[in-house]
Amino acid sequence: MNKMVRKIAMSCALLLGVAAPQLQAETLLITGGKVHTLGEAGSLETADILLRDGRVEAVGPSLDLSADRTIDASGKVVTPGVIAPVSELGLTEIGAASDTNDYAVTGESIGSAFDPMPAFNPKSTLIPFNRAGGVTRALVFPGISLWGEGVGDPQRVFAGRSFAIELNGEFDSVVATDLAQKAYLGEAGGQLAGGSRASAFAKVKSALREAAEYRDHRDAIRRGDWRTLNHSAADLEALQPVIDGEQPLLVTVNRASDILAVIDLAEQFELELIVQGAAEGWMVADQLAAAGVPVVIDAIDNLPISFSSLGARFDNAALLHEAGVTLAISAPGYAGTHNTYLSRQSAGNAVAYGLPYEAGLKAISTNVAGIFGIEGGVIEPGAVGDIAIWNGDPLEVTSFPEQLLIGGEPQSLVTRSTRLRDRYLKPEQGHEHWYRF
Amino acid sequence: MKFHSRCLVAALSAALLLSGCGEEKTSEGQKESVTFASQDAFPSTYSVTQSRPVVIRGATLLTGTDEKMDSADLLLTDGVITGIGEGLEAPGDALEIDGSGKWVTPGIIDVHSHLGDYPAPAIESSQDGNEMTSPNTAEVWAEHSVWTQDPQFALALAGGVTTLQILPGSANLFGGRGVTLKNVPARRVQDMKFPGAPYGLKMACGENPKRVYGSKGTAPSTRMGNVAGYRKAWIAAANYKKKWDDYGKNGGDKPERNLELETLAGVLDGEILVHNHCYRGEEMAIMMDIAREFDFQVSTFHHAVEAYKVADLLAENNVCAAVWADWWGFKHEAYDMTQANLAILDQAEACAMIHSDSAVGIQHLNEEVAKAMTAGRRAGFDIPPEHAVGWMTLNPAKALGVAEKTGSLEKGKMADVVVWSGNPFSVYSKAEKVFIDGELMYDRDDPTRQPRTDFELGILDAEGERL
Repeated sequence: MNKMVRKIAMSCALLLGVAAPQLQAETLLITGGKVHTLGEAGSLETADILLRDGRVEAVGPSLDLSADRTIDASGKVVTPGVIAPVSELGLTEIGAASDTNDYAVTGESIGSAFDPMPAFNPKSTLIPFNRAGGVTRALVFPGISLWGEGVGDPQRVFAGRSFAIELNGEFDSVVATDLAQKAYLGEAGGQLAGGSRASAFAKVKSALREAAEYRDHRDAIRRGDWRTLNHSAADLEALQPVIDGEQPLLVTVNRASDILAVIDLAEQFELELIVQGAAEGWMVADQLAAAGVPVVIDAIDNLPISFSSLGARFDNAALLHEAGVTLAISAPGYAGTHNTYLSRQSAGNAVAYGLPYEAGLKAISTNVAGIFGIEGGVIEPGAVGDIAIWNGDPLEVTSFPEQLLIGGEPQSLVTRSTRLRDRYLKPEQGHEHWYRF
Repeated sequence: MKFHSRCLVAALSAALLLSGCGEEKTSEGQKESVTFASQDAFPSTYSVTQSRPVVIRGATLLTGTDEKMDSADLLLTDGVITGIGEGLEAPGDALEIDGSGKWVTPGIIDVHSHLGDYPAPAIESSQDGNEMTSPNTAEVWAEHSVWTQDPQFALALAGGVTTLQILPGSANLFGGRGVTLKNVPARRVQDMKFPGAPYGLKMACGENPKRVYGSKGTAPSTRMGNVAGYRKAWIAAANYKKKWDDYGKNGGDKPERNLELETLAGVLDGEILVHNHCYRGEEMAIMMDIAREFDFQVSTFHHAVEAYKVADLLAENNVCAAVWADWWGFKHEAYDMTQANLAILDQAEACAMIHSDSAVGIQHLNEEVAKAMTAGRRAGFDIPPEHAVGWMTLNPAKALGVAEKTGSLEKGKMADVVVWSGNPFSVYSKAEKVFIDGELMYDRDDPTRQPRTDFELGILDAEGERL
């Protein structure tokens, strides 16, 4: 769908893995599961998967191979791990505690240069929690601050730069950087840009024009031999891959007319566009499909919560898919980053309202990887070994992963939530619970 | 059939230790027992347009009383449940519904909602849920903010919600009165008021009140400030109540009414139920001691993310907990979440339930219960669906003091019933038909029985509905 050359950082884990002795030529066989490959092989009622050195080597019925380790998945459902399309994982710990949040900044600049990656904390408790819900990878984006000082102050039309992580909690778990730039247009953009959504468009256009001017006259500008620009060099540098079509612009808009205006903007500046939100996407699904614009939606949010989302409905996902739009489903807005894994429940609801089942699975994995140009989301030879083994249908609210692999490595599914549960299974008077761990 | 507002006498769950309403004997102005709850100030005008009897045949019933009946019939007549079992005889004019493959539950009850007070669209001029002007606004009533044309009511109905409590927000120590509504289309909130349901009093622990007022440089700015605020108010309420009780006994000069103290005195009288936003285990324990000090009962702790830590104390004190399946981390007091919260409470024999506090969540309470049930099973508890269904039906009915009237499929109860396309604890199941007092309020198969609020007419397309 996107023609651009993706800058995929080589998986750090893989590079380190080669050096780590315990991973040398290690093989792992997952046997007998119902496998949704989400690739060309489709769904297989009973199949085996062979992994070697963290990657899928083969998948098919009765592989008849031996391996260093075997996982019996008979009676289980096997899928690629869930990938979160927009999250603040590692940038937030407690919503209302501003000290623990690094995903948003306020200030005068347009914001495109903001790079939250140095603030990423792989030891955040949100990472094991969402991993236990089946999430193996996530896109991490900056956003608008919802709490603390600066809320309601004018913020930036651009939110800034993004990166992708794998959820193994390791210090080297950033797998790719600069995957997309994020901007707010429509209603949110209008508020950020001083009252009218038109002024948000004007701000974005002005920045993109200056970015092109900067590209064409970089040397003169650096020498000081050029007019004074309205934006900082850092902001304009950050927009270079966007105007070159190498890095998509993720734009949050919901109203049908706003979506069309953003498509026009993308055509005018030859941008690769991703629309996030798209509550009224179904009203312009054909235009989105024709323009090849993928969307990231909150599929469970059917509230006409603003005049920009009056057309919100449960079958938005189904209608967009039917029109041929590439679809990713994010966590419910109310669940936030803390419950990013609930994209599964949203996808289940989208399926209940007409989205084909495999399209639902792809919307929380395969398509996310495709839209942002990262690995994962498929079980086929050569694919990264991010695999979830479920007690049942992963879109069902009674399901959960029983085992999870990231880069072929089995992951812990223990979380603070299960630790607290185990401590207080039988709450009672006394001191003993502090000695239970 | 038309219900008139009347006091609810002895019709409430014994677990809530409610006394009856005050008697309104006014004889020659000498003795006057006051009804602090003022049930007659904005009386319920709820009415049911009686339709034909309904019989649902051959469905799987989850009764809400720990029973699962396979291939059973359910008969609804004159707005009440009149038959449950196999091979029921139905009146000749009854609407016959083929229930094969369907599941039937009591109507879902949400003990914590702000629909109408925080309506959609959420424009600033309609944000009427939090009177953030004083830490004690016990005098405000949530019903006076309800915009009955909020399209979210109809969405909740499609999710199977038949009864809901609209509460003020949690900015204040005492947020004001909550009101229990039947989820029916209405021109005025009085048309929705659940006949005879007691009022609620919204209280709030923890971060919200101290943040809202502390940041203004006024009390409370700490949790200990919160507690001082509650106790001062209860002392004033006890004095107020005594004044009126003395007047009722001895006559004399009639005391002046005070709306704020009237609501609190209504709690001390057992007429108004305390619904207390409270996350931390320690704070719940403190609140139960305050209730003991001033001799009132807390009905339910809401949100109650740490209720599992004090589940045994809640059970001992007959206090319910209303929780989410998995929300956490938005505040420090919501950090110690376990998905097994509801199940641990239940195992400790505390009265536990799901709640939404969300216009999205309220449409999926069956899914939220399914998640809580699953977490409980993973903790090693045996929780069948016929038990878990009580978490969204009978237990919230108890918390609201209406369990004698609704919340389960039992003869004589209000015919508040949902027919599901399948097991309600599947993400793929949908509420197909929703009956309130026997009237078909929502039918997924019949667009003419899917209510649309005034707001939704001509809003996206002048000649059409919103969707």
